[in-house]
Amino acid sequence: MPELRTTMIIESSAQVPRATLLKRFPVPRNFGVAPESRIGRGKTWLAPRVASRIRTFEIYRYDPDSGENPRLDAFEVDLDDCGPMVLDALIWIKNKVDSTLTFRRSCREGICGSCAMNIDGTNWLACTRFISDLATPATIYPLANLRIVKDLVPDLTHLFAQYAAIEPWLKTKTAEPERERLQSTEERSKIDGYYECILCFCCTSGCPSHWWNGDRFFGPAVLLQAWRWLTDSRDEAKMERLDNLEDPFRLYRCHTILNCTRTCPKGLNPGKAIAEIKKMVIERRS
Amino acid sequence: MSNPTPTRARPLSPNIQIYRPQLTSVLSILNRITGILLSAFAVVMVVWLIAAAWGPQSYAVVQGAIASWIGQFVLFGATFAFFLHLCGGIRHLVWDTVHGFELRSIYISGWAVVAVSVLLTVAAWVASASLGG
Repeated sequence: MPELRTTMIIESSAQVPRATLLKRFPVPRNFGVAPESRIGRGKTWLAPRVASRIRTFEIYRYDPDSGENPRLDAFEVDLDDCGPMVLDALIWIKNKVDSTLTFRRSCREGICGSCAMNIDGTNWLACTRFISDLATPATIYPLANLRIVKDLVPDLTHLFAQYAAIEPWLKTKTAEPERERLQSTEERSKIDGYYECILCFCCTSGCPSHWWNGDRFFGPAVLLQAWRWLTDSRDEAKMERLDNLEDPFRLYRCHTILNCTRTCPKGLNPGKAIAEIKKMVIERRS
Repeated sequence: MSNPTPTRARPLSPNIQIYRPQLTSVLSILNRITGILLSAFAVVMVVWLIAAAWGPQSYAVVQGAIASWIGQFVLFGATFAFFLHLCGGIRHLVWDTVHGFELRSIYISGWAVVAVSVLLTVAAWVASASLGG
């Protein structure tokens, strides 16, 4: 019974999905996929030497210089020769099997947000996901629904442009004080759970609403940031910020699907932040 | 330094084709689908009312269609769609008050929507069978 409970009731976004009826939605592989985005069959790369513990990784590859479509390569990884995390496996492949495998990484401890990717069907940071938690074979795609520069490197230009559109900095109107703008402990606690966002865009890339309307819908990561400034006691541009957000697309394409809260590798709650914004918009009318 | 001319558009990484279905997204899409089905079913209900107003003969035809196994199957499906959409709607109303957003609450309320919809559907059919005969 406790087994069933932990399978059905997810209490933390860090929980790896154990039982799913379907690993993917029952749609054709090329459902709504433009010809240049169709994924072909790739190569199989065997482990360089005989190994007893092997895990196969199926990894999305795209080489812009080849003129060819993306493909899915299979890599055998020798687990006895490799660190415990998914990022370790990627670095192992790059060092020992195929040096052209391209991905972003920096801190290897879940604070830079560079190595966000789609691992076994959900978005997470490669550096904080254990290889032992993966399916066989493990599947690695870039973050969903983004234009791909190369292999696992998506073009984030549009997402950062959306971030810039909420003007993520402190805006004040009152005269500059002699010293810092102080906050009470209570006021400071209101940005807890929001300021920790590392802008990895796991949530925005996992949001079906952003898949269909990403050109105009801001998406969960940017809206969480918007709330982080709205709820900051030092900020004095609340009305302008709400004017900027109150829009059928920018804010209201959020349909509370909550894939964002399920997938956040920092355990934050973008879905709740967006609900707070919607409530604040209503409250200022009365 | 001149930038090489891009020879082709960058591919879009897959989304719905690979993203794992979760209770969150599955209940959301079911809420949409049941909403569409209920709109269609509202038309069927109007047909039923028109038939009743038209006269006993046309009413008997529509009643016969409803009594057939396929008619009963559709009616059962519509009952379940109704309760799923109703419970899902109540869940959304609670969310609009910024309550129940902890991941644990999201999953508990999600499974509750499923369980209560099944129970209410069965209860409605048992009640109609015992009352209507």
